[in-house]
Amino acid sequence: MRARISSFVLPALIVVVAGATVPFLVGFNQYYVLLALQSVIIASIALAWNIIGGYAGQLDLASFAYVGLGGILATTLMTEYNITPWVGMFLGAGVSATLAFFIGYPLFRFGVKGVWYALSTAALVVILHEVSIMVLGSFDYYIPFVEGWYYLRFRTWENLYYFSLIILAFVISLNLYISRSKVGYYLKAIREDEVAAEAVGIDIRKYKLLALMTYASILGFIGYIYIVSQRTFSYKTFDSSLSVYIAIIGIVGGLGSVSGTFTAALILKVVEEYLRGYLGGVLPGLHLLLFGVLLITVGILRPEGLSTLTDALVKKVKARIWGGAP
Amino acid sequence: MSDAVLLEVVNLSKRFGGITALNNVSMRITKGEILGIIGPNGAGKTTLVNCVTGIYKPDGGKVLFLGEDITGRQPHFIALKGIARTWQKIRPFYNMTVIEAVTAGALLRTKDVLKAREEAAEILEFVGIPRSKFEVLGKNIALIEHKLVDLARAIATKPKLLFLDEVVAGLRPHEVDVIADVVKKVNREMGITLGVIEHVMRFVMNISDRIVVLHEGRLLTQGKPAEVARDPLVVEAYLGTKPV
Amino acid sequence: MLPSSNLILQSVLDGVFLGFLYSLMALGLSLVFGVMGIINFAHGDFIMLGSYLVWILANSLRSDPSLMSVITVPLFFTIGAAIYVAIIRPVLGKEPLIQIAVTVGVGYVLQNLALMMFRAEPRAVQISYLNFYVNLGLVSVHTAKLTSALLSLFIVLGVHYLLTKTWVGLAIRATAYDKEIASLMGINVGKIFLLVFGLGISLTGLAASLWMTFGQADPYIGSSFGLLTWVIIALGGLGGVSGLLASSIIVGVIQSLTMTLVSPSVSLAIPYIVFIIVLWFRPQGLFGKG
Repeated sequence: MRARISSFVLPALIVVVAGATVPFLVGFNQYYVLLALQSVIIASIALAWNIIGGYAGQLDLASFAYVGLGGILATTLMTEYNITPWVGMFLGAGVSATLAFFIGYPLFRFGVKGVWYALSTAALVVILHEVSIMVLGSFDYYIPFVEGWYYLRFRTWENLYYFSLIILAFVISLNLYISRSKVGYYLKAIREDEVAAEAVGIDIRKYKLLALMTYASILGFIGYIYIVSQRTFSYKTFDSSLSVYIAIIGIVGGLGSVSGTFTAALILKVVEEYLRGYLGGVLPGLHLLLFGVLLITVGILRPEGLSTLTDALVKKVKARIWGGAP
Repeated sequence: MSDAVLLEVVNLSKRFGGITALNNVSMRITKGEILGIIGPNGAGKTTLVNCVTGIYKPDGGKVLFLGEDITGRQPHFIALKGIARTWQKIRPFYNMTVIEAVTAGALLRTKDVLKAREEAAEILEFVGIPRSKFEVLGKNIALIEHKLVDLARAIATKPKLLFLDEVVAGLRPHEVDVIADVVKKVNREMGITLGVIEHVMRFVMNISDRIVVLHEGRLLTQGKPAEVARDPLVVEAYLGTKPV
Repeated sequence: MLPSSNLILQSVLDGVFLGFLYSLMALGLSLVFGVMGIINFAHGDFIMLGSYLVWILANSLRSDPSLMSVITVPLFFTIGAAIYVAIIRPVLGKEPLIQIAVTVGVGYVLQNLALMMFRAEPRAVQISYLNFYVNLGLVSVHTAKLTSALLSLFIVLGVHYLLTKTWVGLAIRATAYDKEIASLMGINVGKIFLLVFGLGISLTGLAASLWMTFGQADPYIGSSFGLLTWVIIALGGLGGVSGLLASSIIVGVIQSLTMTLVSPSVSLAIPYIVFIIVLWFRPQGLFGKG
């Protein structure tokens, strides 16, 4: 079997190499490097969502519950106890995965799915939002300026950007690996029909929980990078609207499509930034309004999202690389 | 036919609200046979299969598979033990390709996706799906193909016992014959014991070694197809001459 | 330091009033979900849209918000019918996730439209004929809240009467029960869907008019009301008017009590915690059958 490992590592490597040229292309302009960093973070979160939303078909609206929890934990450990985020991010991943377990286990155990699953996850973000007002108070926390690889914070954004590219590469590889493995087949079967999936021997609770915890741990890990890129955290980090936005990216990109989700994340982020930069002062929320329109359009006209377009492109590129028939 | 009992159902009961869908049904399926399960609408045929395969938890009675008590276990556990099924109302994986759907079934017995795909390809060819259809999405195939893919997906789990729930419902007469041939082949060449729930008499009488008849949630009678067809009780149940 | 029993009594009373208004807010959602099976994530955003509309109308006409329902109800029926034709009808029968996605899109559009037009600061109507308290000794009653509660109850019971006692109601219930059989009985299912969706949205216009007699409009109340009304439906289970009223009042009282006894932020979180726990143990709702 040709290129089994390269089939899921190579695309990630291509993305990293292409991505690594960005700071050079923009002449190390910090505005653009930060934008690139934020795009990579959003793409990573959306691709993590693809595991629970795209493959397993569970409309999860809680992404920023996990991002916030993991990120605030790692950040607080660093600022209060001087613990390196290299440790804190793994702890963040662990805590987010634990939260996912305590939410997901009973939900899946009692067969909560579809709209009720979506609502429970939306409720989770609201709960954390309100609880964190009690715990954190209603202020913004700014991270004191510390520098170096120990803190994963730097005077300029390049290093963090390169680091985020590695995370993105990992998430892409993981997605591709899952889609080609037994877990991926099982998750897709669950997405299509839970009853039929169970009847061919799939332990649907176990696999849904696995998908949910994988997703949550990636988000918990990324949380610190997200907070550093925002320069601040507060109860507002538990953002319902952003959590819905992640699901929008996944749906617009096409459920279960890595290339579609990745493309959608980048396009939407760039459009958002453009509209915010030029019209944000005049019309706040215009980009989100347009994403709403986009979501309606995709739902009505192209439920498969961008995936058919991007899949065709990926096939062409693959054919170029391996010289096979497209 | 060997006499080894594969499945034994003892006094199985299932109620929905005030309605008793299954009332103390006891029956056996022996290894290697094709057992037809017939009865008028609402006789409890699908409920019986749902109770055996873990979709419903029975309210009373036992289900023994190869001597092991599997009553009320979860469907995936029962599939792992070796009981598979198809669905009266097809349950396709619309956004997966034909080969992917069957591979999902084959992955029950292996972790190796490539091996599972090869098995899936063999089974698909066995039931008569041409290779040209393998990469087609589930939402783009015809009803007869859905039935065959559903069947292939169930076979791919390598069951010892396979229930077919009204597998020919909605098909044209010549398609019914296609399915009949495939079903006999599955039984003879793969050695899978079959429980065939059916409405279409010609089909079930033609393929079954033995028939059980359910009526209003009870076991009415059982025997060879020819005997059952002559049984006045069965005729009554179907024609409804018995005053209700 | 225990709060006085008066304070608790007052808080329960306010919660009950709020609960009746919640039942009106949830009524349209319950109809649309129960009859059409459509999962409307934009429901709360229509209440939000209505609240802004009422704010503009009441302030420019210098009149009480509740009277604005004369305008909002027919207008929202029309908007609902138009959205049904343009957006909901094309996704009928598609996967639930696509239906949810489309309504999430509608909600996103409405919320951000409001943000663009009105910015994030909360808006309240200045004029209300009923904005005063009547002191009853142990408790005092806010007349606007009392009126909105009574009107809500009246409307909820009215719609219940419509569903159970009239021919249209019978047709709606038949459609909810089984679309195919209903259409075989000569019911025009397409028309019923249009009617139900229009009705569902017009009820949000009505709820908004009552809400604005004492509440405020901001772009985010839609998300809160949306989630809250879903919680009420989950707790109430579908179908029964008594389940709807009971779960609305439970949610209203829980919110009001936690607001008084603990803190406003907890009062916003508590219904959702209850919701998740109820989903775990009674997926059919506290008052649902099964």
